[in-house]
Amino acid sequence: MILKIAFRNTFRQKRRTILTALAMVVGFALLSLTIGLSDGAYGGIIEMFTRNRTGHIQVHREGYLDKPSLYKTIDNPSAVGAAIQNTARVEAWTQRVYGAGLGSVGEKSTAVQIVGVDVAREIRATRFDNRVIEGSVLAETASHEAVIGKGLAKILSAEIGDEIVIVSQGADGSIANDVYQIVGIAESGDDVTDRVVCYLHIEDAQELFVLEGRAHEIVVIVSNINWVDKVTGAIETRLNDPTLDVAPWQVVAKSFYRAMKTDQQGDAISRWVIMLIVAIGVLNTVLMSVLERTREYGVLKAVGTKPVQIFWLVVCEVVIIALASICVGALLGVLINYLFSIYGITYPEEITYGGMKLKTLYAEVNVRCLVIPAITVMISAVIVSLFPAVKAARIMPAKAMRTH
Amino acid sequence: MEQVQKTDVIVTAGVTKVYEADGVPVNALNGIDLTIRSGEFTALVGPSGSGKTTFLNIISGLDSPTAGSVWLAGKVLSEMSGNELSDFRRDNIGFVFQAYNLIPVLTVEENVEYIMLLAGVPKAERHDRVIGMLGAVGLEGVAERTPTQLSGGQQQRVAIARAMVSEPQIILADEPTANLDSKTGADLLEMMRRLNAETGMTFIFSTHDPMVMEGATRLITLRDGRIDTDERR
Repeated sequence: MILKIAFRNTFRQKRRTILTALAMVVGFALLSLTIGLSDGAYGGIIEMFTRNRTGHIQVHREGYLDKPSLYKTIDNPSAVGAAIQNTARVEAWTQRVYGAGLGSVGEKSTAVQIVGVDVAREIRATRFDNRVIEGSVLAETASHEAVIGKGLAKILSAEIGDEIVIVSQGADGSIANDVYQIVGIAESGDDVTDRVVCYLHIEDAQELFVLEGRAHEIVVIVSNINWVDKVTGAIETRLNDPTLDVAPWQVVAKSFYRAMKTDQQGDAISRWVIMLIVAIGVLNTVLMSVLERTREYGVLKAVGTKPVQIFWLVVCEVVIIALASICVGALLGVLINYLFSIYGITYPEEITYGGMKLKTLYAEVNVRCLVIPAITVMISAVIVSLFPAVKAARIMPAKAMRTH
Repeated sequence: MEQVQKTDVIVTAGVTKVYEADGVPVNALNGIDLTIRSGEFTALVGPSGSGKTTFLNIISGLDSPTAGSVWLAGKVLSEMSGNELSDFRRDNIGFVFQAYNLIPVLTVEENVEYIMLLAGVPKAERHDRVIGMLGAVGLEGVAERTPTQLSGGQQQRVAIARAMVSEPQIILADEPTANLDSKTGADLLEMMRRLNAETGMTFIFSTHDPMVMEGATRLITLRDGRIDTDERR
């Protein structure tokens, strides 16, 4: 009966109920959009970051990530890669060799980071070809070709067709040096990388550093980024090699991941601010409603309704409005997020996040867009109803019934 | 204070109530000692401000006295918690208010069955008793209406049905005929007298209505918060 009274009470002052519900619906939709845009942005950044750089999972020789070294190599990368490829949900893999050296074009020299890539695999795994903005991609067989970063080309005043001389040290202690023809200019979206990177065919890099058949890194792409943790575990089990470290992108790019998480926490604060504003509005209308029905609560108490039942009557009334608002808000939230996931928001200028450049922000429609606003709206509604509910429950019947 | 007898349903001893009105203390009741016996049909009369409503509120536990004690059906009201008082009122007292005080969002049937629902009476029994009680107060055929669809007299009948349906020991009525025309008032009074005679329920009214005063078996006059006269007929 208490529920019945609460339900019918919501229809008594229709305009006030609609206004209260509207505040909750708008709050829900705003929260949903904030989460959708935030998840969309971070999803886009993570996708770009992992696809262009780290991959979803990496395999290294034990301790390489903490202290990279030319000598910490995976000795049989092809066999390891083949085992990884046979793991469920693995889409592609590729291998890389890393080394530092001095790059010279004509009279100009600068420090370079040499990245030896397995061209065919790198294209499949990280869309390497998309990064080449000028010239061509490296040949699929070793041909002493180089693709250099856009910033590096500027520093060295290098153009397509120029020769770049690399001087470094081989793994056997010898002086490593060779000449490569620049066939392409690459842009990764990360300016720091683009100022130093020089891509070579992996066999050319292995020859330069005297690392025949060895690699520093195996990069794995999974078919869905949400499965990274499971696939990481599966690869570890399959490889069963204590000398190899298998790490998801969150571990590989620790500082990037932490910065992103901190940023997301900042978003959570803004969500609570939205709900606080909505809650204050709702509190006002609920208090008005309790004040208006003081006499009725007095009568209910007089005829034997317990204080706790009066308390639940007020809470139920707000919860009923909140439930209806959540349903409408969910429809609205999904619709808005869906529209923004198609059309997005285009920034007047490109923005950079963690070295990644973004021009358009797309929303994402996911469960979080519904569940978090629903929980937030419901918790806010219940909290907001507590004070008026206690006030109603403590009403003295005789005094309340003197109220007009 | 003399010994409380089994037949005494209400006993008050030195009941005093002081209100603050604009910071000034007002003595609404000044040490009332009174015993009401089971089955009495009592009218509380007196001029406005004499303390009739305050006294009814205090003997029903709707308000608390500033000093003094109230025994109701053998219980000391001041010793009960809020929940105990609610249960006690639900099980022992039926209220009829001057302004009817029905729950506007409930139908007539729901208003009448509300107290039985709180008491956990089974649905079928509730329904039968509601229909029977609505028949007894002459309200057949209006069970599905809401209070706003009824006349003042009909609303007061619903209030009486609500007060009596759970068969409480005591019915407290605050000016029950004040908002009714004389014919409706007379009908209601007749109905309450009949129920009093048939069930032995104790009725206490506050009233200005000479017709109600005439029908009472005991007439208590209050003046300035004190019992001025107490006449049994």
